[in-house]
Amino acid sequence: MNKQAWLDRARERGFDGLEIYVGRSAERKVTWFEGQTDSFVTSDVTGYSLRAIIGGKTANLALETVDDAKIDETLDLLAAQAEIVAAKEPDTLRMPEAADDVKCATEWVVPPADQILSVLAETERALRASDPRVKQVMEIEWQDAVTGREITNTNGVRVADENRTQVLYASVAVEENGKVKDGFRVEVVPDLSRLDPADIARKALDDALDELGGTPIPSGNYPVIFERRAMTAIFGALTDMYSGDLIGKGISPLKDKLGEPIFSDKITVADDPRNTDALRVFAYDDEGCPTRKKILVDRGVFREALHNTKSAARMGTASTGNGFKNGYAGTVSVSPMNCCILPGDRDLAGLMEDMGDGLVVTRFAGLHAGLNHVTTDFSLQCFGYLVKNGKRDRNAALITAAGNFLDLMKKVVAVGSDLEWEYRTIACPSVAFENCAIAGE
Amino acid sequence: MLKKEELARYLGLCMASEADLAEIYEEEETSETIASLNEEVDRVNRTVKSGVGIRLFKGVQTVYGYSNGADDAHLLPIITDLTRALGGTEGKTPSDAALTGTASANGDPARIDFDAVSLAARTELARRAERAAKAYDPRIVKTQATLLNVRQRVQIANTEGRLAEDVRVRTRLSVVAYAAENGNFQSGSCNSGAGRGFEYWEEKTPESLGAEAARAAVVMLSAVDCPSGRMPVVIDNGFGGVIFHEACGHSLEATSVSKNRSVFAGKLGQRIASPCVSAVDDGTIPGAWGSESVDDEGTPQKRRVLIENGILKSYMIDRLGGRRMGMEPTGSSRRQSYEFEPTSRMSNTFICAGTDPFESLFEGIERGLYAKSMGGGSVNPLTGEFNFSVLEGYLIENGKITVPVKGAALIGSGAEILMNIDKVSDNLARGQGMCGSASGSIPTDVGQPAIRVSSITVGGTANG
Repeated sequence: MNKQAWLDRARERGFDGLEIYVGRSAERKVTWFEGQTDSFVTSDVTGYSLRAIIGGKTANLALETVDDAKIDETLDLLAAQAEIVAAKEPDTLRMPEAADDVKCATEWVVPPADQILSVLAETERALRASDPRVKQVMEIEWQDAVTGREITNTNGVRVADENRTQVLYASVAVEENGKVKDGFRVEVVPDLSRLDPADIARKALDDALDELGGTPIPSGNYPVIFERRAMTAIFGALTDMYSGDLIGKGISPLKDKLGEPIFSDKITVADDPRNTDALRVFAYDDEGCPTRKKILVDRGVFREALHNTKSAARMGTASTGNGFKNGYAGTVSVSPMNCCILPGDRDLAGLMEDMGDGLVVTRFAGLHAGLNHVTTDFSLQCFGYLVKNGKRDRNAALITAAGNFLDLMKKVVAVGSDLEWEYRTIACPSVAFENCAIAGE
Repeated sequence: MLKKEELARYLGLCMASEADLAEIYEEEETSETIASLNEEVDRVNRTVKSGVGIRLFKGVQTVYGYSNGADDAHLLPIITDLTRALGGTEGKTPSDAALTGTASANGDPARIDFDAVSLAARTELARRAERAAKAYDPRIVKTQATLLNVRQRVQIANTEGRLAEDVRVRTRLSVVAYAAENGNFQSGSCNSGAGRGFEYWEEKTPESLGAEAARAAVVMLSAVDCPSGRMPVVIDNGFGGVIFHEACGHSLEATSVSKNRSVFAGKLGQRIASPCVSAVDDGTIPGAWGSESVDDEGTPQKRRVLIENGILKSYMIDRLGGRRMGMEPTGSSRRQSYEFEPTSRMSNTFICAGTDPFESLFEGIERGLYAKSMGGGSVNPLTGEFNFSVLEGYLIENGKITVPVKGAALIGSGAEILMNIDKVSDNLARGQGMCGSASGSIPTDVGQPAIRVSSITVGGTANG
């Protein structure tokens, strides 16, 4: 693609601006099952996204094949689109802005194929031998993914970067008294030669055993701890509430709440695309706006919303550098990046001890459907275990937790110290709540 | 699209390895999303994708590679990568595959392609839905509508000589209405779609969707806390069929059955549901959201009877699953795009109509839940444990529908719930959804007549 020709032609035609976003993703994935390679996937895909501003209005077009001979034809499509879009404030593209570079400290060592196969085989063996209750080693998978992006616009923005991730995934099914459960572990692996297959096997097994033999518990209001993975899942599913886009449109539960207490004063929420503890870091968002650390909620008080350029203009503020896309073909939306609840100082065992009797929820299911993003009402299938006298008791399953997330977050007893980013861009420590409605028997 | 001789050459190169079968899937897709807020177009995004996925089989092993370039520069490195990964390229010389099949276009083409309608007319469709929502009730304060139009052309060739082609045109309109009253803010939604062109909107009016979304939002303004615990539940028709999709459908896919990871593995011919339950997965329904002429391996779609009077009759099987299970593929191989290796998936899945009058489903229920409108759900096929959400529910008290209740999850285990269906009404209808699984997000219909489940766990906030 002759980018300059596209940018020049857009200018000649009187466009306010044109942005060219080139996304590349390359992946290699090997799956191991029952002593042999089960599947192997290799890919290399480049896609182009054009964002034009015409008469202050935005038009979007994503293409996988770009033809420099069809510039005018393509720009015509964008111009037609812009005509029908409404814009109260004129849309703009970013101007070039300097920002300190930020890089993950991780040094990725790309392993040769035979080393990958040998570790996969060893992990499978370790899982098989880990416990007599192992029914099936379900899948062991190695995945190496490289994503790159180049953002160029008519204002002179030039941003390019690349992120690599290598992960090993292991999943296992266990069985006891005719009851089956599965568990998994995803391990980020910078250097495969330093991975201990027995360690990942143990973690996957523990995850499966964690839920084995769970049965319903009587319905009622229980003191609860949402263990870090469960807390991350429900908090993560509702991070759209901090979106300046949805707040500006009046459909976020946090509209008109800036400066007001929304959570318990034990809760502080930060978003920082530059956090090098997380798996991926970004010096710029997908519009080419420099990123920065924000405290969204400070000791319970809603202090700052997330914005991209458009949502910020609507609310008369500046972009926070949270204009991210879901893949090259997506449009720029407002998304959190490396967003977390800041940890407290009690570990999970300490939180359980303080709770005495109650329920620890280790996992939610059906988060895509069981949450109301307008009211934050939730009713979710969950898994976990009872706590008696501060100690773990029997497992609980086929139960639901229900309530209103904003109400629940006002009833925080304590925030745990166990924040771990692992492979996520949203993470939470365990959080203890006064109570939550649980439905079971 | 690649020509027949190019496909034959690439397939030939693939077979210069230990592969026993090679397959090429090529796709071109144009999609457009128009999102409107308060009757003004908020966002338009048009995407034109094209790419090629190449898969090689060696027994029950597969290797898969994909690229969005359909030429030697992109495909030869992938073929080299794949044949090396499979092993045994030494001494093998490529010879062009013989493609004896004839690509045939869709037998059920769209009458009005969305690109034949002006962009202004397309956006007007979304606005019509919003206007109807606003007009429904003065408490409707905001509206959103999203119109999706997709045209996907696929070509599938394999070394058995298969050459198949399909054109899938789909359209879907989703409407959300927001109602406010005394500080209470609630939403309601409605969507409809079809495997058809723009002509679909001549029979299904956007106004009907807007009004339905608004009705649901207004009802929720007066909803009280939902009860919790085990109780009888009447699940209404249409999208209520998501219960079967989650509780049973996924567990009948070869993906989980072939590796013995399904509660229904090895149960063909056995009773897995109450005798009043028969269920079908039918990818041939003309114009349905989940229909297609051929599946993504080029096998003609078909109607699959999954359960007949409670007895398990068939699984949904793709080629790889079939090899593992020693069974024939059932035309059930689907994928989101060339970026996904296909696997066994549902198409249009529904519980068949029964004979119980709708009113009779409520008889004898002292205290229960009427789930009028359902959201999505999920299942773990290994354990059969599933969940799905009620968007609009009502209490049933002494056989009568009474007050609306807030949304709640319904949970249970598939094997148990199918046995607990004790009444099946005669008002079969289908609803449109997107189903996410190993091979990506695909359009599927779910459906059922209203059914009664004698006992299921309801996850509400009101105890007792």
